[in-house]
Amino acid sequence: MDDYKFIGKSSVRVDGKVKISGSAQFIDDLDFGPNLLFAEIVESKFAHAIINSIDTSEAEKIPGVVKIVTGKDFPFRFGLYMHDRYIFAQDRVRFVGEQVAAVIARDAVTAKAAAKLVKVDYTELTPVLSVEQALGDSPFLIHPDLKDYHHVPWFFPQTNSNVAHLRKVRNGNVEEAFADSDFVLDDVYTVPRYAHCALEVHGAVGLLDHSGRLTVWTASQSPHTQRHLFAEALAPLGFQHKDVRVITSFVGGGFGGKAGVSMEILGAALATKVKGNPVKILWSRAQEFYNTYQRQGVVARLKVGVKNDGTITALEHTLYWDAGAYVEYGANVVNAAGLSATGPYRIPNIKIDSFCVYTNLPPGGPYRGFGYSEFLFGLESHINELAKKIKMDPVELRKKNAIREGDRLTYGAKMNPNGLMEAIDKVAKEIEWGKKETSSDPNKVIGKGFSLFWKAPAMPPNASSSAFLKFNEDASLNILVSGMEIGQGYLTVLAQIAAEVLSVPVEKIRVETPDTDRNPYEWQTVASHVTWGCGNAVKQAAEDAREQIFDLIERANGKKREELYLDDECVRSKVEKDFSLPLKNFIISGIQKEDGTFRGGPVIGRGMFMPEFASALSDPETSQGGHPNVHYTVGAAAVKIEIDKQTGKVKIPKVVLAVDCGKALNPDLVNGQITGGILQGIATVLYEDMRFDDKGKLINANFSDYKIPTAMDIPDEVVPIIIEVAQPDGPYGARGMGEHTMIPAAPIIANAVEDALGIRIKSMPITAEKIALAVKNRGKD
Amino acid sequence: MAIENQYEYVKAKNLDEVVGLLQRFKNAVILSGGTDLVELLKTGAVHPDVVIDIKGLDFLKDIRLGNNILWIGAGVTFSELIDSEIINEHFPIIAEMSKTVASVGIRNRATMVGNICSAVPCMDSGPVLSVYKARIITDGQIGERQIPIEQWFVGNRKTALFKNEIVKGISIPVPDKKHSGCFVKLRRYSGEDLAQVNLAILAFDDYSFRITFGAVAPTPVRAMRIERLINRMKLVPELMEKAQQLVEDDIAPITDIRATKEYRLHMAKVMLERGLNAALDRLNGGGPAYGKSVI
Repeated sequence: MDDYKFIGKSSVRVDGKVKISGSAQFIDDLDFGPNLLFAEIVESKFAHAIINSIDTSEAEKIPGVVKIVTGKDFPFRFGLYMHDRYIFAQDRVRFVGEQVAAVIARDAVTAKAAAKLVKVDYTELTPVLSVEQALGDSPFLIHPDLKDYHHVPWFFPQTNSNVAHLRKVRNGNVEEAFADSDFVLDDVYTVPRYAHCALEVHGAVGLLDHSGRLTVWTASQSPHTQRHLFAEALAPLGFQHKDVRVITSFVGGGFGGKAGVSMEILGAALATKVKGNPVKILWSRAQEFYNTYQRQGVVARLKVGVKNDGTITALEHTLYWDAGAYVEYGANVVNAAGLSATGPYRIPNIKIDSFCVYTNLPPGGPYRGFGYSEFLFGLESHINELAKKIKMDPVELRKKNAIREGDRLTYGAKMNPNGLMEAIDKVAKEIEWGKKETSSDPNKVIGKGFSLFWKAPAMPPNASSSAFLKFNEDASLNILVSGMEIGQGYLTVLAQIAAEVLSVPVEKIRVETPDTDRNPYEWQTVASHVTWGCGNAVKQAAEDAREQIFDLIERANGKKREELYLDDECVRSKVEKDFSLPLKNFIISGIQKEDGTFRGGPVIGRGMFMPEFASALSDPETSQGGHPNVHYTVGAAAVKIEIDKQTGKVKIPKVVLAVDCGKALNPDLVNGQITGGILQGIATVLYEDMRFDDKGKLINANFSDYKIPTAMDIPDEVVPIIIEVAQPDGPYGARGMGEHTMIPAAPIIANAVEDALGIRIKSMPITAEKIALAVKNRGKD
Repeated sequence: MAIENQYEYVKAKNLDEVVGLLQRFKNAVILSGGTDLVELLKTGAVHPDVVIDIKGLDFLKDIRLGNNILWIGAGVTFSELIDSEIINEHFPIIAEMSKTVASVGIRNRATMVGNICSAVPCMDSGPVLSVYKARIITDGQIGERQIPIEQWFVGNRKTALFKNEIVKGISIPVPDKKHSGCFVKLRRYSGEDLAQVNLAILAFDDYSFRITFGAVAPTPVRAMRIERLINRMKLVPELMEKAQQLVEDDIAPITDIRATKEYRLHMAKVMLERGLNAALDRLNGGGPAYGKSVI
């Protein structure tokens, strides 16, 4: 059917050689010469306190200290979706580890030693460490000025409360529907906070030169958004966007943690205090845990009604998100989850409340899955429990209610084309659903768990991508974009798209990491949108270049453009079989006419993509109207686990995940995403767990006690399944699938544990300890 | 991460130099594997005047067996123990334990002597050395001392070593009876981890046992009550159950970030049963291969 030469082929990564050979440079590899200064921050030791005074006099006496900066130097509020954070704490601190001041010194050791000598006098306040505490009677307000904060129009802060945003979705009548249901199940599920654990820590180097030019090198998923926020936050100092430049080298893992602006603002701000000298700030592993973004915790109350025939009648889903001290990014996670908290189901009556709650814990923010993993744990656990109540197979119940193309979404728009049914069937077959298995070891039991998943990109409706494409003399290509290669293989896929349009092989295409001065605008590399959005921009840029080529041939050679096509790096004609003009013969130098003059010149393509159908305008009480989500990617997953009843240890013989990516532009890379995503998801279920003490301090900000799996902990078999039901507005039908692959991990394991032991675990993580003690204490209460 | 500490660094050429430096400096620390020390230096938990590097002292690298005594020098790493023919042939439980210590990279540097000098409650070497009745050989201004393992650990991160002494090595008598054993380590996953609970068992052909738990008290705990109950008895299910009940009398685990007290107690019982069964099966030529976890 598809007659593609490059699309759908597993091309070798274009960034493979540079990484394998060690040539790829990351933020800490860049050399800034002998004038490089180093910054170390002074951190809050309290989760909630008033800053009375800061005494820097002792620290200033240390030889090698260049400058000490405090909140007084930058009294500016900023943020991505809501301006609620500061470069340095102002009158109060709101989480343990928050930056209160910074010491800039000639070397890192001096900066660190001097930072310890900065004396901060605090008056400790009662920390608000849970959503229950934050929402209780007359709670202490963490942001008393919330009502004055600038924010995007789709946020609804609740005055005189710790609720920074409340997303309400209403459709139909849940009360009547519950009354009409044969069974209604009500329960509470809790998910703790998680850390991204990218191998590379955050870092930034800022340089304000003597001409007033601010350049910031960052490890980032969002160079243009960073430039915008730096310019916006530092606007009082007189910066225009053209004066600010962000250069992003290779990134050692993002997973959402390097989206937006977190610590990178320090690189930009501190540079303004030491004009002429680059200043570097690099997080320690501990800071990476507690002062970037964390995945937010959630307490989810879920009530679902069902008929005896399996028809889901109504859903009431109340999500209380522990969004932390600053929610400028995290509030949009809350928003996105609220809009989609039905899961991929057709449910006529819905009531969803998604509360973004300030607490005195580190700022929450984007993390692969963007809120969907968190609510899906409860929802897909609940679906299994409902199936049990009405004595229906849980996969049958899912199939009966699974959303189909054209079904109404929570906000009223129609569901896009999708292969959810195909995914369900293929996963069920691969995991041998319905076949009960027993272990030969009497201590061990085997269980299977199943889950659906969905996710939409959460973006402003006008989030856009753009691309330049320029030919070189030999008809090789440079593509300039500003999306980030964060391991997913995006640069390779863009090269494949351009290759397909222009018939230039992938090996002749170079795509590199961005510099905002040179590369065109990209919103951010988040939301699993960049293959879709930026892919469309590159396709358009390639088509633009192709049209310029056809224009030229028409003009210089007198051929009809509709007869021309590109093949094997040549312009060919559908009617003149002998006509074949290599691109390299004219792509820079032009085509020479008989009189010796030339036509043409360097071909440069330009492309842009913005989803012009999207809108975030809707009724704040119901979320009806608007088109906040561009499309949903769906899929299904299942797992087979073996549990040792005595130790509680879980072994995974097999895990299967099918995702409808519209079109797998590069199947190897899609399979890589599936494998990596499901492993990252499984880690959050079985091992990872953030622990805070009763003062709000993170006590496992290290890999000794925050466990991410090693090669010895991976499942015996991971089966990726690619489903391809084309996305009509995607490049070659593609839609995003990177984040989705970790979303169903929690419910498949929770459901498998229940299948094996008859024990429903309603809080994550599901550690060996939790399982063993549940087995041991079964029947005691 | 930058090390702020300022200190002298000496790469020692012989033992006399080490002993002299330990005498001269009040705050001297020994650097061998460095896997604990460098972390302590980075976080500022120790502030030495001098770091004495003993990696150049080749005679500390010995693994020797003679006169029915095994000698493990202070410079012997866990990887060297795992690779040693002597260890695998005569002391397979030491190899079994060593394979569970941290990760390959750490094991390539970390030493068994360093492990018992750090004396962190969750260390893996303690219980194994306890059941083998090892002796720790020290040297210093007052001369050589031989300290029995049961007197070596005196508290959380505290040993019987004097400030101006160095450990030269560990001597372990080869048990005079036919025996087997088992090392069991509970950890949060299969990758490198600190023990939530660990357990070493020696089983002799007269059906006597030596059993020591780790990570369930400040120092390794020899389970004497359990040993007395089961020594020279046939381990029928009823007796196993009684032995498991005694676990609560023999150990005193706490709740911390790695596990709750309840899980530690529960698992200590499970580990005891599986460890004893594996040790007995091995004694009779069967059972799981050394290195294969029984939990």
